[in-house]
Amino acid sequence: MSRSKNIAATKTITAPQIGDNISRQTLFWLLLTNLAVLSPLFDKTTPWTLGICAICLLWRIGIYVGKVAKPPRFLVTSLAVGAAITLALVSGQMGVLNALINLLILGYALKYIEMRNQRDVRAVVIVGYFLIALTFIDHQSMLSTVHLLAVTVVNTCVLVTLYQSKHRLRHTLWLGGKLLLQSVPLALLLFLVLPRFAPLWLVPNMKEAKTGLSDTLAIGDINKLTRSTELAFRASFTESTPRHTELYWRALVMEDYDGVTWRQENGIKKLQQDALIFPPSRPSPAQQVSTSTVDELRNKAEDNQAKTNRPKTQVYRYQIIAEPSHQPWLFGLDVAYSEDTAVVNLPDYRIFALRNLDQRMSYQLDSWPNATMDLILSPRQRDINLALPDNSNPRTLQLANQFKQTYPDAKQRLVAMMQYFNTEPFFYTLTPPMLGPQQVDDFLFENKAGFCVHYATALIFMARATGLPARMVTGYQGGEYNPKAGYLSVYQYMAHAWAEVWLENEGWVRFDPTAMVAPNRIELGFDAEFTPEDSYLKESPFSSLRFKSTPWLNELRQRFASIDYYWSVWVLGFNQERQNKVLNHILGDVTKTKVAVFMGLCLSLIGFYIAYSVGLFHRKRERDPISSRYQHICLRLAAHGITRQEGQGPNHFAEQIIKDYQHQAPNFCALFNALTQSYVALKYQNLPPKAYQQQLRQFNTTAKALNWRLIRPSNLLK
Amino acid sequence: MKQLITRIWQRWLARRLPPNTEITLSHRSIFILPSGFGLIWLALVLLLFLFGTNYQNNLVIGLSILLLSLFNTCILYSYNNLAGLHLRASMPPEVYAGETITFPIQINSNHSSYHINLGYPNNHSYTLKQVGIDEVQALVPFEHGIRGLVTPGRLKIESFYPLGLCRTWSHVDLAITHLVYAKPIEAPLQLEATLDHLREQPPTVAGQHVAGIDEFKGLKPHVLGESLKQVAWKQWAQGRGMLSKEFEQPQGKPVWLILRPNPKQLETQLSQLSWQVNKLSQLEQHFGLWLHLPTGENIILSPAVGNSHRIACQKALALYPLNPQHPQAGAPPHSATANPPFYGNEFVEKHRQLTQSGSK
Repeated sequence: MSRSKNIAATKTITAPQIGDNISRQTLFWLLLTNLAVLSPLFDKTTPWTLGICAICLLWRIGIYVGKVAKPPRFLVTSLAVGAAITLALVSGQMGVLNALINLLILGYALKYIEMRNQRDVRAVVIVGYFLIALTFIDHQSMLSTVHLLAVTVVNTCVLVTLYQSKHRLRHTLWLGGKLLLQSVPLALLLFLVLPRFAPLWLVPNMKEAKTGLSDTLAIGDINKLTRSTELAFRASFTESTPRHTELYWRALVMEDYDGVTWRQENGIKKLQQDALIFPPSRPSPAQQVSTSTVDELRNKAEDNQAKTNRPKTQVYRYQIIAEPSHQPWLFGLDVAYSEDTAVVNLPDYRIFALRNLDQRMSYQLDSWPNATMDLILSPRQRDINLALPDNSNPRTLQLANQFKQTYPDAKQRLVAMMQYFNTEPFFYTLTPPMLGPQQVDDFLFENKAGFCVHYATALIFMARATGLPARMVTGYQGGEYNPKAGYLSVYQYMAHAWAEVWLENEGWVRFDPTAMVAPNRIELGFDAEFTPEDSYLKESPFSSLRFKSTPWLNELRQRFASIDYYWSVWVLGFNQERQNKVLNHILGDVTKTKVAVFMGLCLSLIGFYIAYSVGLFHRKRERDPISSRYQHICLRLAAHGITRQEGQGPNHFAEQIIKDYQHQAPNFCALFNALTQSYVALKYQNLPPKAYQQQLRQFNTTAKALNWRLIRPSNLLK
Repeated sequence: MKQLITRIWQRWLARRLPPNTEITLSHRSIFILPSGFGLIWLALVLLLFLFGTNYQNNLVIGLSILLLSLFNTCILYSYNNLAGLHLRASMPPEVYAGETITFPIQINSNHSSYHINLGYPNNHSYTLKQVGIDEVQALVPFEHGIRGLVTPGRLKIESFYPLGLCRTWSHVDLAITHLVYAKPIEAPLQLEATLDHLREQPPTVAGQHVAGIDEFKGLKPHVLGESLKQVAWKQWAQGRGMLSKEFEQPQGKPVWLILRPNPKQLETQLSQLSWQVNKLSQLEQHFGLWLHLPTGENIILSPAVGNSHRIACQKALALYPLNPQHPQAGAPPHSATANPPFYGNEFVEKHRQLTQSGSK
């Protein structure tokens, strides 16, 4: 077949294939993303997941370098199926969520080596975003948020590389970053106004090592906590902050004592277990005060309470941000009541979370420090709180008997028991000597040394022995005040245990024998009793609490702590209530139309902003920047009354200005002359590139200087 | 129903984006919808929102909102990518039936646009990685099986930039019409000298000598580009300079390629003629083309030689009315063309126009 050359030429031109294969640049970014996405999930992975991920990464690097071929598809598929089956089998052990996370990670890693076309890349990116979201579940600090946002940028960059022609790393990063940055304003607005919902259905939990207080208490337990510098929770009071001695944060009430260990009573345990299905309710003390049925009893009790100078109805209103403990215990002062949907008010005046605290949780609550707890005690409760283990601690029983005989009045007897700890040579220590099987006897008569649990146990034992219902309460005592942000930080080392004794007409009354032995611990705080280095800092060499002793470092520490606090309150704890507050602040009364108008306004503003930065508006203004700069200065001059005639060349204009103003403003004239010279050179001389650049720089600096002079009228002639 | 919708859509498009050889894309001509990946993306946003809600995790909700907002940003970016794109059609090279036509389209943009696919419906698309202020040429392929006039229809300009979340596209009609020549099929040269059965004798050129291959005529100075086979090497070796041997052939009888249409084999006949036209032109043979039309009229191209004659002949062959009974005549399913039957004067007129434009 013969044709003219023209035709032959056409035949050789073929349309380039649409790039469905993955470019090297994309592969490189995928390597980065894989590392960036998986590294924060390190603690969630099982060792063999980690192993497979590492192999996949190495394989991918091999593919990237060109040393290894792609794995056969059946290998990847069989690995994936095997992993899924294994994970399904062990999911009971490791928790459903953890198993799911591992499965996702494995899928991510395997898809990653198996990738063949752009569709696979997109799938990997989508799963990447999901993994980032999973990481957020228990990495919520500001720092890790910044970190994960960076990971998000990297993940987005992978998509950018699919459609970008510039093959420079920083170009990709720039575009990816710019896209996300420009999306931030709208995201913030939506974050502010989008409605928040309660959890829609139950989701599996993480299985995590529990931290903080436990629902059983053996005598050595609190001791462990006093070695921890971890934050337990933070509280901010709306009005007044209670004094340090009043800061008894109740978390758990234990009524069951077997001679060694304190436990929650079974009835309460059952209530807690069934809380999700049958949430127990307790009337708010606010209603209790007003109900007439209890009024009579209250009148009687008032005589006793009259000693305290505060009114009965005093209420503390505060918010608590609890750190993740993976346990459901919440903290409140005295009679605490919360209206939060995720919080249950238990009949023992504690509050309880419906779900374990796997992440920071904030809740609002009210406390009535002077309200009575259980004016009437049911026979069952009385029995439980009088029960003592059989054949235990005979010497203590004897001592209790003595107290009973000497002080027939219950209250006096208790005061005397408390005094006993003060008068006898008791010693408060975090490292008490070992106890034998008769724990209370050993403590009271042999060692005479111990910490809060020892003292509380001894007091409760004696109270029960003399016929006074008593129970153990654990929680925290004290709190470090941050004056910068006005909140209290309660650390694990502030864990405490004390006793509550039920008195006729007064209900449960708090007795803390530790206050008799180590009053400073209660009045001034933990640090007043113990040197931090010997207690909670002993095992945390890198804790920021070390900075406490150096004032300026301490201030810095508190500043950082308050930033973190605001982060918790305004970002992590941003809920319906806060949303309403903010909208109220901006809009006054929140009505639907107002929100709509506000949204519309913000949206159009953001739209304009993005459209502007994308370049939708300045299409037509693509003039020569040099000319426009010169024109701009001429306009400025016109405002000063110096006008350039129609058709007057720049050189002529400069001559005219020099002629007119040489004597009044020689500096200005010199500047304008220099500008004109540069302008003419740039516009009309064909300069070599180097000289052009130099001239351009000169032109720009001169123009800037002139601009400054021309902004204010008085500056021109100086 | 579907056809009706398509028709309405086409009519609407024609009103909104009338055909023009030069088109600048603007908000009137750009359409944006989420791509498949974009829909998956939105599903991810919803999933993350539910996830964040169920775990009461504001950061996850924040991430989902950020991804939603990113989608929004991408809409603007993708619009901006196509807006201001300037397209101009230029003359495609000649093409034979069965070959891929590549329409060269000149594109520039008043800013930088990335990753633009250009393509005709049901054809491969051509991807431009970047278009800037300087004009670049895209060669957009178009498969076409049959000879005749081709209007490729609306060119689809499509982009998924920047993240593949949105499909931004436009359908522009660059008013391109191109003639596809009949597919050449090798055949013995069937030059006929006489046309006995015709009453009307073709204009005779008997006795003349025209440039040919048969007889040596003389030497003439070599012109650059002439075949080296014709260079008189002997004379060159003698130092007489570069001369070309000139041949001629006696034009004793005119040579004609004649089509006597056989309805069953019309396309093959045309294909063979197409090949012969090319072959004879290559051989620099003098020939004329005589086509009998089914209506009884004739298309006659007087004997001549040279490229413009070749093109004129090819055009005449390409525009020869399709046989309605022929299987090839039915419009292929994807073709946007209808080969209007040209008869008589109308056809001759069209043919003249094309010949003139081709010889430019």
